[in-house]
Amino acid sequence: MNIIRFEFLKLLKKSRGWLGPILVFTLIMIAYPLTVELTDIELGQSFFSILWIAALLVMMLATEDIFLEDFNDGSLEQYAISQNNLSFVIGSKIFIYWLVIGLPISALGSIFCFGIINQHNFSFQIFPVLLISTYIFLNVFSFGNALSLTKGSILGILVTLPMLLPLLIILGKVVIAINFDLNYSGFLFLLLGILSIIIVIIPMITSYIIRAHLE
Amino acid sequence: MQPIIRAHNLSYKINDKKLFQGITFDLVKGKALHIKGENGSGKTTLLKIVCGLTKPTKGDLTTNTNKEICFIGHKNALKQYLSIEDNLTLMNVGNHQDIQKYLSIFNLDKSLDVNIANLSFGQQKKIALLRLFLNNSDLLILDEPCVGLDMNAQKILVEFLNEELLNGKVVLFSSHISLDIVSDSLSI
Repeated sequence: MNIIRFEFLKLLKKSRGWLGPILVFTLIMIAYPLTVELTDIELGQSFFSILWIAALLVMMLATEDIFLEDFNDGSLEQYAISQNNLSFVIGSKIFIYWLVIGLPISALGSIFCFGIINQHNFSFQIFPVLLISTYIFLNVFSFGNALSLTKGSILGILVTLPMLLPLLIILGKVVIAINFDLNYSGFLFLLLGILSIIIVIIPMITSYIIRAHLE
Repeated sequence: MQPIIRAHNLSYKINDKKLFQGITFDLVKGKALHIKGENGSGKTTLLKIVCGLTKPTKGDLTTNTNKEICFIGHKNALKQYLSIEDNLTLMNVGNHQDIQKYLSIFNLDKSLDVNIANLSFGQQKKIALLRLFLNNSDLLILDEPCVGLDMNAQKILVEFLNEELLNGKVVLFSSHISLDIVSDSLSI
């Protein structure tokens, strides 16, 4: 539990780390209806693609230095030597990022959904989807960042973006299901299934990658 | 007595260049080993091998301790944007009765709310050394621990290490300057 407390303290004290992504997301959501000349119906139709892409980009931004700072100052060395399981430390770190950044962005996304589409059932339905998808995005981008820890961020983005394309397709299908008032719980369980695999596998693989960087 | 560290025929190669080879040593309780060598000879790599951070190209290493290894490397593992107090919390040495003692020895007890970024390199090193002073480990591994420290802090460090050796701990360190510690030495 100490690890979770420490990571929470670190992220909260580094306001640039959590406030920046939230503000960028808010800016995109506010700027979107202002920068296009569309009717309300057209605005609503393209809103979700903007929402997913904004969430994706903001999560990429949020995880930019998720491991870099700890790597540079030697904290990762201390974690690797300690008796704490490194993959648990990484999993906790990602969870804290989701709690501090992913959760508010999911809430904001739902609020903007209500503001732009003006249907409260849409915003209630999209909230759990946003919660799950932001957690998946964070995990995958963390993996990418671990890969490119000492090599610049291009390698990480090249590896992780193709991994997220199927997820974006599923998210598109979720929106269609919600639009046609179909039961979308199947998609929700599919996303939960992906998440449950990812939250176990990604921290484990990432811990091996980080150990390789520390050698 | 069973050694805490047993290294047998350790070798390390990087990009086909041999850093060191055939390193063998045993360290039992209460013993220290000073690793000497030129820059780039592999002192840090050897210490990282003992910590388990790096794997040797050849050879065996066994460490016989159930407790965490205390490692003080070149990097201080301090967060620049946090205060001394917050960093001590992160080190997980909070509420330790010796914190105040060492902070006052280093004249840092009145600066608990000062950010690490506002401290000098030597002061940051002193904070990092608290991880050593408040350790609960049988095995202390120090990579150039005196870099950046003033004479007084070096004296405190040496006294502490000698005391820990009397308590049966094992110390493995690299240093370019000779420290007043009863130790064997190993040149690589």
